[in-house]
Amino acid sequence: MNRSRVRAFSSTLVAALAIAAGAGGARAQDRAPNLWFQGTRLIFGHAAPMQGDLAVSTRDEGLRRFLDRLGATVSYQPQERYVVITAQDRRTIVFTIGDPGYTIAGVRAQAPFAPIADGNDVILPFFALARALYVEPVQGPAETVLQPRVGALDVRSDGSRTFVTVRGAMPLVTTTNAESPDHLQISIAGLGSSLAAARRAPGPAVDEIDVAVGGSARVPMTTVTIAGARGTTHRVVPGDSPDAFTVVFEAHGPLAQVSPPTPPPLGAAPPSLPPEYSQYGPSPTAAPPVVAGRATVTDLAIEPGDGDTLAVRVSLSGATAYEWHRLPDNRWYVDLENTTLTGPGRDEHPPFGAVQSVRVRQQGSSDAPSVRIAFSLTGEQRIDLAPSDSGLVITVFDQPGDDLARSGTGQTGGVPIMPSATAVESASPAPWKYGPATNPKLIVIDPGHGGGDTGTAHNGLTEKVLTLEIAERLRSLLVAAGWTVRMTRDTDIDPVSAENLARMRADGKPNADDRAYLQTRCDVANNAGARMFISIHANAAPIEGAHGTTFYWYKPQDAPLAQALEKSVIAAAGSFDDGTRHENFYVIHHTTMPAVLIETAFVTNPGDAALLRQPSFLQNLAQGIANGVKAFAGAPSSNALSEQQ
Amino acid sequence: MVLLLLFVAAVAAAWWYTHRQQTLVEDTIAVYYVKDDGTTLVPWRVSLGPARDRASVAFYAATQCVAGPPPETQAVRFPAGTRVRAVDVVGSTADVDLSKDVASSAEGGFAESAEFKALVWTLTQPSLHLSSVNVRVGGARVATLPGGHLELDEPLTRSSF
Repeated sequence: MNRSRVRAFSSTLVAALAIAAGAGGARAQDRAPNLWFQGTRLIFGHAAPMQGDLAVSTRDEGLRRFLDRLGATVSYQPQERYVVITAQDRRTIVFTIGDPGYTIAGVRAQAPFAPIADGNDVILPFFALARALYVEPVQGPAETVLQPRVGALDVRSDGSRTFVTVRGAMPLVTTTNAESPDHLQISIAGLGSSLAAARRAPGPAVDEIDVAVGGSARVPMTTVTIAGARGTTHRVVPGDSPDAFTVVFEAHGPLAQVSPPTPPPLGAAPPSLPPEYSQYGPSPTAAPPVVAGRATVTDLAIEPGDGDTLAVRVSLSGATAYEWHRLPDNRWYVDLENTTLTGPGRDEHPPFGAVQSVRVRQQGSSDAPSVRIAFSLTGEQRIDLAPSDSGLVITVFDQPGDDLARSGTGQTGGVPIMPSATAVESASPAPWKYGPATNPKLIVIDPGHGGGDTGTAHNGLTEKVLTLEIAERLRSLLVAAGWTVRMTRDTDIDPVSAENLARMRADGKPNADDRAYLQTRCDVANNAGARMFISIHANAAPIEGAHGTTFYWYKPQDAPLAQALEKSVIAAAGSFDDGTRHENFYVIHHTTMPAVLIETAFVTNPGDAALLRQPSFLQNLAQGIANGVKAFAGAPSSNALSEQQ
Repeated sequence: MVLLLLFVAAVAAAWWYTHRQQTLVEDTIAVYYVKDDGTTLVPWRVSLGPARDRASVAFYAATQCVAGPPPETQAVRFPAGTRVRAVDVVGSTADVDLSKDVASSAEGGFAESAEFKALVWTLTQPSLHLSSVNVRVGGARVATLPGGHLELDEPLTRSSF
């Protein structure tokens, strides 16, 4: 240990001891600088100046108040060495005990001293932390003002649009000083700035950005002026947190024509590409379009290929035409036309570095089915397709390819069979072979949530109300079709049986009551030996864009029911097909018969919410579910007959 | 003598294996998030500080996962204010205690599934030698989140999703 290290260690130790001693000597705040933040004095109980910074304990109430005002949280676990502060905008500031180096959103920085463990707390360099949270200590004659600042001005471009995102330490209170289509000047009250004064031509739709700071140390004002390119228009959109906003400038000239298409979600139909997007259009060497035949995927194996490759071998029962696309965000997919899957969809994560996931899904409608095989890649990997004796082989190479084609078509199995009227008849009902087989005409409908458990609520819609209304409509349709129907609830209650409460509590497992409520719904179907269980829900997401109908299954016997419901509900209701998904949801896990949980639509999406307000949409959802029940199990009388046989 | 040598070799091998499982040699660790399509997992790598013991890194990784990727990234995120209270490593299971903020907003299966899928994938990456994640909320075990769907009563693994 060299001498300077000894000195630094000693002063750190002395300061730590002084802080830990707290009120043992002179009060800590007497030694601490006179700090002001947001018009009030910030008083620390355990703080001491140290090596040009301020050593503050994480248990200090002053630090807690400071972080609360900024919407930041501290995570620290005693006996471990990392201390993670999460800012309101989700950036993380990570300190390590014993190391003066720390990171701000992954970028390394250096503090004047290393954090010190202090029992169950940690002593941190306060000013370094404040700066990481966009708060700058401004030294005055008799005080230090902790001045919140505009800390980031991010510019990114997407084709003809340029996005300017302004991010500050606190919620931004803005005033528009001057505005025209291609020009905007905004003042932000209460925040200073650490940004460069000007940026020239940061994006195709913006010529210049200027930042000016006025006001005083305690009451600063930052003014941001954005000059758009000639002929642009702009709009201001809220950020992902209150401390940010984004201004979008858009060009309306030739720039607009080179904007790449937004990649669709994996479950969406293949993009219809206008001819001007030549880089995404069919490659010159692609095979000419062919008429699709009728085929079935009987097996799909994912295994190491020759050399450093991954091979996906698709076994097909007939001839098919296919079309593949490579998307700009490292996704690649192929659609097999007029093809059906024999099993459920699949999500695989093979141990192959170039491939993050492989997803297989049934798509299309009953008279025009298709199977999509989609890859999420780690880069622009080369992928080859080749028809084989048994179907199709997709080979993914570990190395990125050069000048890769963006789409193509092909066919397998020689001349495809023309679709015929008989080819599109629905398959025969799946045999009933699961569950206790005591009540083959009974279907249990579970309207999700109820009573004090309202479920999600957004856009004036409440999940427990929607689920009951759809369930009641479905009950009428199924009864009319000859089924016996039992509901887990038919009023606004969250059902629970006294037996389950007693049993769960006697088990001694934690959270007995919650499990008793959910198990009660399962028991309605389990105890009656129902033919199937259908749980109805409405979805929600923190992202407004999430939309569509999702069909969740857990047990293998759930999957065919989920697929049948998916096909019929999407056809009847016309909602976006969010696909079938395998999830460990309680009610489909703990029921013994084929069970599916349907998230009918997202109450958080404006389009879906508008649909959910329409009685006709709710009726179509119910009709789609009833149609799916019929496709899966046939008519109730035929099941009863087959059961007797 | 041969038996003694074999015994020493076995002890050394056991020590090496245990030690290898307890510390990380990599300078970065993968943290996963789920894109806003609700299913696509995306890893991003974050730098490790000098602390490389498994318990510290597991806590660090869980905290980064709950904080989520950089703000401009389109991702399904844990409810605002959610933080990791503690991570205990017991054998091959990580016991993660989340603050009650995780249950602050009743969300559908979409968000729940995406949030916990990211957490499980982060903590079960190969370098941590963990295979399952037990979730507690506010220090208590739960069957599901209040009004939730995903079963949290038993440890989650990658095959839970």
